[in-house]
Amino acid sequence: MNGGRGGADEQALDWAVRMADPEAADWDGFMRWLEEDPANSARYDRIAAAVQDAAVAAAEPVVAANDVGPVARPTRRWIGGALAAMLVAAVGVGVWSERPQPFAVETAAGEQRVVALADGSSVVLAGGSRLALDRGDARVAAVERGQVLFRVRHDAQDPFDVRVGDLTLTDLGTVFDVKITGRGTRVAVAEGAVMVDPDGAAMRLDPGQAVLSDGRTLRREPRAVADVGSWQDGRLAFDNAPLSEVAEDLSRQLARRVVAAPAVAGRTFRGTIATAGLKDDPVLLGMLLDVDVRQDAGGWTLEPRQ
Amino acid sequence: MSPTGLEAVFLANRDKLVRFLVARGAGEAAEDIVHDLWLKLAGRMDGPIGNPVAYLFRAADMLMIDRYRARRQAERRDQAWVEERGDGDASPDPGADRTIAARQEAARVAAALAALGPRAEAIFRRARIDGVPQRQIAAELGISLSTVESDLRTAYRALAELKERLS
Repeated sequence: MNGGRGGADEQALDWAVRMADPEAADWDGFMRWLEEDPANSARYDRIAAAVQDAAVAAAEPVVAANDVGPVARPTRRWIGGALAAMLVAAVGVGVWSERPQPFAVETAAGEQRVVALADGSSVVLAGGSRLALDRGDARVAAVERGQVLFRVRHDAQDPFDVRVGDLTLTDLGTVFDVKITGRGTRVAVAEGAVMVDPDGAAMRLDPGQAVLSDGRTLRREPRAVADVGSWQDGRLAFDNAPLSEVAEDLSRQLARRVVAAPAVAGRTFRGTIATAGLKDDPVLLGMLLDVDVRQDAGGWTLEPRQ
Repeated sequence: MSPTGLEAVFLANRDKLVRFLVARGAGEAAEDIVHDLWLKLAGRMDGPIGNPVAYLFRAADMLMIDRYRARRQAERRDQAWVEERGDGDASPDPGADRTIAARQEAARVAAALAALGPRAEAIFRRARIDGVPQRQIAAELGISLSTVESDLRTAYRALAELKERLS
């Protein structure tokens, strides 16, 4: 694209637009064009990479998503006092002077609750969950228990930050799900992107990606986009999750306690459970999970088949 | 889709993917890259994939774009390091420098997008930040697909030219 633009650069521009579409299908045509001239691939890369870099910059002004290693990030909330004071002096009034006004939203098991935030974002709490929010700052939230689906209105100037345990997440414009399980915290992205631990690992999650944090390590996992937050519609999707986690999820969705006996707790399950049909039918659940479901006053216990 | 569905499609298209990677400038690394590609995708094959062949080619293409970006970033970082050595008041914190550079880039990109006009900017953000298909954007805005493509073309051209100017 230096100075005079030749036809080949124009063609590269066309292909870059066409093939960046999630529904792009003409890969044969693209390959033919690439093979017409060995230099075409580099022409295409120049444009596609420039646009991708720009998209990353446009989505998040401060954190360079593909940087390796820690990146300093001037967040107003978790910076040191001296720097914060300086910033207050520089900015004067505004968000800086607003005092935190924390409050929490909670759900009982079997319940589901949608909360609209002042900034236009919304969150959906699964049953048995608790989310801490701040009336003084609609762009922060902390998941304290259970599972929450975030639909965040993106603002590059004021990223939305979610804390869960020791983990910090920064949205890059997005729909994502946060779940606290017995094994750790899982974050899965349906739309946009999320930066996990922006001041440390700075791991970027794109749609279809998830991460499991056990407090020490971050492990990437795949997660089908359609399954992220599907619990909102009464559909629980699992990809080789231990039955202990399946039981935790069921406890949140059904208004009853479900536990996995130690003998089956580590067994994995892959598949989708529609919770609507299950409410009063332990036998059906047993068939799905290949276990016996013992019913007593305390709830349901998943046990090995007799 | 059955757990082996994508794998079957991958195996059936493996040679073609290698050919594609070669055409995309992978050279002799094409075989290794196609292997990496499969390792990356193997864990996700339970997703509802409408067009698995297109999905594989798209993943291969994005992998090549990322490799190109990583190379460019490494070159720029080396360059920046060389320049910093001659600069007496270089920041003791290279992370902070990178943050500033990233913010400057964000400001330039924001300005370039704003210069496109509100419709083209909105279309670009919807397509490239929200990841929405072009057909859906056209439906959302009540405009034709060719208008969406044309706006994206204008945006891509502006951003590619911005990149050329900066490097």
